[in-house]
Amino acid sequence: MSVASTDTGPAGTTPPAPGPAKAAAPKASINPFKRLLLMKEGSIVVVTVATLIYFAITTPHFFSSQGLQNLLPFFAPFAIIAAGEVFVMINGEIDLSVGGTYLICPFIFNEFTSAHIPLIPAMILAILVCTLVGAINGFFVAYIGINSFVTTLGTLFSLFGITLVMSHDTQIQTPGTSLFGGGTFESVFGNGTYSELFWAIGIVIVLQLALSFTKWGIYTVAVGGNRLGAKEAGINEKRNMMRNFMLCALLAAFVGILEAVRSGSATPDPAQSSELMFQVVAAAVIGGTLLVGGFGTVVGAMIGALFLGIIQDGLVLKGVNANYLYLYQGLAILLAMTINIYIARVRVGAGRG
Amino acid sequence: MADEVARGKTHIVETLTPADDDVLRVEGVSKRFGPTVALRNINIHLRKGEVLGLLGDNGAGKSTLIKILAGFQPPDKGSLWLKGEEYKPRTVDEARSLGVDCVFQDLALVNELTVYQNMFLKRELTTKPFGFVRNREMRKRTRAALDEIGINIPTIDVPVARLSGGQRQAIAVARTISSHSDIILLDEPLAAMGAKEGAMILDLIARLKEEGNVSIIMILHNYVHVLQACDRVNLIQEGVISLDKPTAETSVEELTDIVVEEYRRARQEAQAEAA
Repeated sequence: MSVASTDTGPAGTTPPAPGPAKAAAPKASINPFKRLLLMKEGSIVVVTVATLIYFAITTPHFFSSQGLQNLLPFFAPFAIIAAGEVFVMINGEIDLSVGGTYLICPFIFNEFTSAHIPLIPAMILAILVCTLVGAINGFFVAYIGINSFVTTLGTLFSLFGITLVMSHDTQIQTPGTSLFGGGTFESVFGNGTYSELFWAIGIVIVLQLALSFTKWGIYTVAVGGNRLGAKEAGINEKRNMMRNFMLCALLAAFVGILEAVRSGSATPDPAQSSELMFQVVAAAVIGGTLLVGGFGTVVGAMIGALFLGIIQDGLVLKGVNANYLYLYQGLAILLAMTINIYIARVRVGAGRG
Repeated sequence: MADEVARGKTHIVETLTPADDDVLRVEGVSKRFGPTVALRNINIHLRKGEVLGLLGDNGAGKSTLIKILAGFQPPDKGSLWLKGEEYKPRTVDEARSLGVDCVFQDLALVNELTVYQNMFLKRELTTKPFGFVRNREMRKRTRAALDEIGINIPTIDVPVARLSGGQRQAIAVARTISSHSDIILLDEPLAAMGAKEGAMILDLIARLKEEGNVSIIMILHNYVHVLQACDRVNLIQEGVISLDKPTAETSVEELTDIVVEEYRRARQEAQAEAA
């Protein structure tokens, strides 16, 4: 077998390809800090740890168990939904309807238990019904070709509407919960002290493995990175997108149950659900997931959610005027994004000039 | 519009009769995209072990034909035959499973994935119980495939975005050739390559031809490459085959003349219309 020359310099009569010699730079020469930044979640890890240290030093009780427990509701629900949102965003799409799916699920759950379906089957059924929302999103985006922002905005509003109609705009007590807590069902599904944390960590691990090491994950990246190319390679890009929208809806529905069980009741409040949706998108973006698709990690989104949770919790503990919370959060997002763009340039731009 | 172009033309079509050992046959295929006619009544055949060069101007319909053969899009009319059986691939996957693989013009590489992930895209090796991809094995085989072909890619763990145009093209070609297909379609495999890389791919094709197991259809722009690498050449002009000759019986001059003639006629028609 002939072995090609390694020389890619300007030899020969035709103009050489631009700078291929630099293209695959050896990894060894990168300094450790740069290498950390080159890790997919690098930037946000640095920023989060710095924030954590700042609050730990300046705020008493931040690291106490009570402090951590306070942090959890600010973090776990977002981390779980963001795990699904990351898949959709790597596809190059976005799912705004998670707010609606999250909102409606406890009410569907309530309907099923009212029809004398036992708790667990009722919960599973409710989540499956909500997963259909994802199928609807996926259908409109992948098969009809409507932009995902518009599609999921449509389903978001529709779900808000259906929830208000279904609930007659009244709060319900979450099935399976009691005033004093302690039942097995409620302890497992949201009301146990660390229940949501365990779910969040478990889901993030499983989905990160799926993203990195299964065909599903690789096709998700391929569809987001080069949709036509993915199709030419034989990937069913529509099915892949459909699946990711369904995953996203499923997780949002599940968190809807967790949160309703944790608080013992569900309130048909679209405003709060919209905010949750924005937090989820923010967590994913802060965690390094690119809105244009092709790139992102589940672990990064979890750290993004943690970052947002730490800021909220920390600022509250510090006794910052609540009116400033949004401002700080907004600035933090802008800062994190700026760093991310810089890193994306370092990472991708290194070879292509 | 297309009909206007077609009128009053008598091309010298020297069709070689299809033989029994044709591995691939295209009969009366046409394809239009809205008002644009890409292919009209195309007939092509490919013998076993043959390298067929497809020539034609931009927009002549070459890539459309290749995409139909690769299962990426169906023809409007006409039939395809693969080794004597009707061939109706609905997807690229299906075509591949029947032994037809393609290097598309845009290469179908995903910038964000590594070299070895791209090499095995849609052909991943996975573990039995959980369906995890076997990265180590894929790396090993990628390295082996690239070495065997003689393509030098320093590291296969980087995203392909970091590679040069020629390297990317080489990877796309290597991916298709290592897929063990017996019919390989190449849409401008030398487009982004320097002289050395191009020569390497042409060497590779010559080697495959010598081994005689694969049949190749290749779109090229450079007539010299066509005469060097192909057994036979088909010229597509405005969606029809206007020339079909063994490369031994044609020359750069003849091919150039035909294309220049087409250009002159188009200009005369345009001037006549303007006057």
